[in-house]
Amino acid sequence: MQTKYLSIAAVTVILGLLIGLQVKLLKLPEPPAPSPDRFTALSAELKDLTRENEELRAEIEDLEAKVRTARQGVQQAEAALRTEIAKHLVFAGLTKVKGPGVQVTLENVPGGDYLFAIRDEDLLRVVNELRAAGAEAIAINDQRLVAFSEIRQAGPFINVNLERISPPYRIQAIGNPDKLFRELERPQGIVDTARIVGVEIHIEVCDELVLPGYQGRSRLEYARPLKEGV
Amino acid sequence: MAKFRFHWALILIGLVLGLMLSTQFRVQQEKVQAATVKRVEQLALNVETARQERDALRARVQELRDELDQAAEEVQLGELRSQLDHVRMQAGLLSVTGPGIEVVLSDSPTPAQPGQSPNLFVLHDEDLLKVVNELRASGAEAIAINSERLVATSEIRCIGPAVVINRDRRLAPPYTITAIGDPDTMIAALEMRDGVLATLKVWGIQATIRRVPEAVVPAYTGKTTFNYAVPVFEEGGS
Repeated sequence: MQTKYLSIAAVTVILGLLIGLQVKLLKLPEPPAPSPDRFTALSAELKDLTRENEELRAEIEDLEAKVRTARQGVQQAEAALRTEIAKHLVFAGLTKVKGPGVQVTLENVPGGDYLFAIRDEDLLRVVNELRAAGAEAIAINDQRLVAFSEIRQAGPFINVNLERISPPYRIQAIGNPDKLFRELERPQGIVDTARIVGVEIHIEVCDELVLPGYQGRSRLEYARPLKEGV
Repeated sequence: MAKFRFHWALILIGLVLGLMLSTQFRVQQEKVQAATVKRVEQLALNVETARQERDALRARVQELRDELDQAAEEVQLGELRSQLDHVRMQAGLLSVTGPGIEVVLSDSPTPAQPGQSPNLFVLHDEDLLKVVNELRASGAEAIAINSERLVATSEIRCIGPAVVINRDRRLAPPYTITAIGDPDTMIAALEMRDGVLATLKVWGIQATIRRVPEAVVPAYTGKTTFNYAVPVFEEGGS
C-alpha cells in the first residue's frame, strides 16, 4: 500500500512540475515577432532604392560624358549644354512629349446633384495616384502639369494652369500603362471610391499619347538661384 | 497490484514523452521565428546601405552639374548657361532662394476621444496635397516639404505612419512646407474662410505660418530621365 502512495506522490510532483514548466514557458517574453508588414515595407523600399540608384548611375554616366565633351572646346561645350537644356526641358514639362500610358475620363452623372459634381480634389487625387504609379507626364484637358500647376476649384469650374477646364475631364498620363492602370483600379483605391459616390470614371490604356508642353508663362518673379559661395 | 503499477509507469512515460515533444515543438518554432528576425535585420541593413549609396550618387550628380556649369563658364558660354539655369529653376533642379512662407503642420495634440477614430486627428497625404495645391494656386514658384523639392512628377502618399514623396523620400511629422512666392497672396489663400487650413483646424491639426524673407528651397536630386515619355520636336520649330 505504501508503494501506491509513493507513486501517487511521484506523479503529483511530476504533474506539478509539468504545469509549472508550462506556465513559465508561456510567460516567457516572446521575442518580438517581425510583422509581415515590416518585411513587405522594407522589401518595397529596397526595390525603390535599387531602381533609383541604377537611374542615378545612368545620370552620372551621362553627365560625365557631357563634362568630358564640354572640356574639349567651345563648340563641344555648347553642344553638351544644349543637350542638357533639352533634357531638362523635357523633365520640367515644357516640351511636347509622346509615349504609352492611360487616359482617365471623369464625368458627372447626367442630371446628378451639384453636391456630387466632380471637384478639384477628385482630380487632384487621381493625378497624385498617377504620379505615385510613376507617371512621367500628365495633362488634364490638354493642360500640361508642371511643378507649379494648380488644380483649383473656382465656383462651379476648375482651373488648371489658370485656364478654365470643363467636364468631361480627360487626364492623360504617360508611363508604364499596366502599372498606371493597375494602381488606379486597385480595390478600394481612389477610383473605386469615387465610383461609389457616383462619379463616372473610365480608364483606357493607350499605346501612344501625345501631351502638349506647358504653354503658360514661366513663373519666376520671386525665386532666384541660390549659388553657394557666390 | 503489479498491473496497477504498470499503469502508473505507462502514464509517467506518456507524460515525459509529451513534455519532450512539446519542448521540441517550441524550440523549432523559435528557430523559425529567429530566422525571420534575421532576415528582416539583414533586409534593414541592405536598405540602409542602399540609402547611403543613393545619397552619395545624388551628391555626385549635383557635383557633375556644377562641373558642367564651370566648363561652360570657362569657354564663355554664360548666356547658354543662364538659359540652362532658367530651365532648371522651372524644373526644380536648382536650389532657389527668395521671399516666401513656411507652413508647419503637425498632428493634433489632443488624443481622440473614445469612439472617435484617431485617424481623423492625424495628418494625411491628402491634407498636404491640398495645402500644396493652394500654394500653387496662389503663385508659389518653388515648394519643398521637409526640404524635399516638389517637381512635376512628385507624388505625396502615406505609407504607414510616414509620408513618402519623390519615390523614396520618407518624411516624418511635423511637416514644414517652404514656398517661394508672394507671401501676402499665399498667406491670404491659406487663411481664407472655409479654406484649407480652416478645415484642418477642425480636426485639431496645428498649422503655423511664418513669413521668411529669404526662404531656401533646395534642388530636386532624384532622377530626371524618362523611360516612357519621349520629346516630340515640332517640324520647323526650335
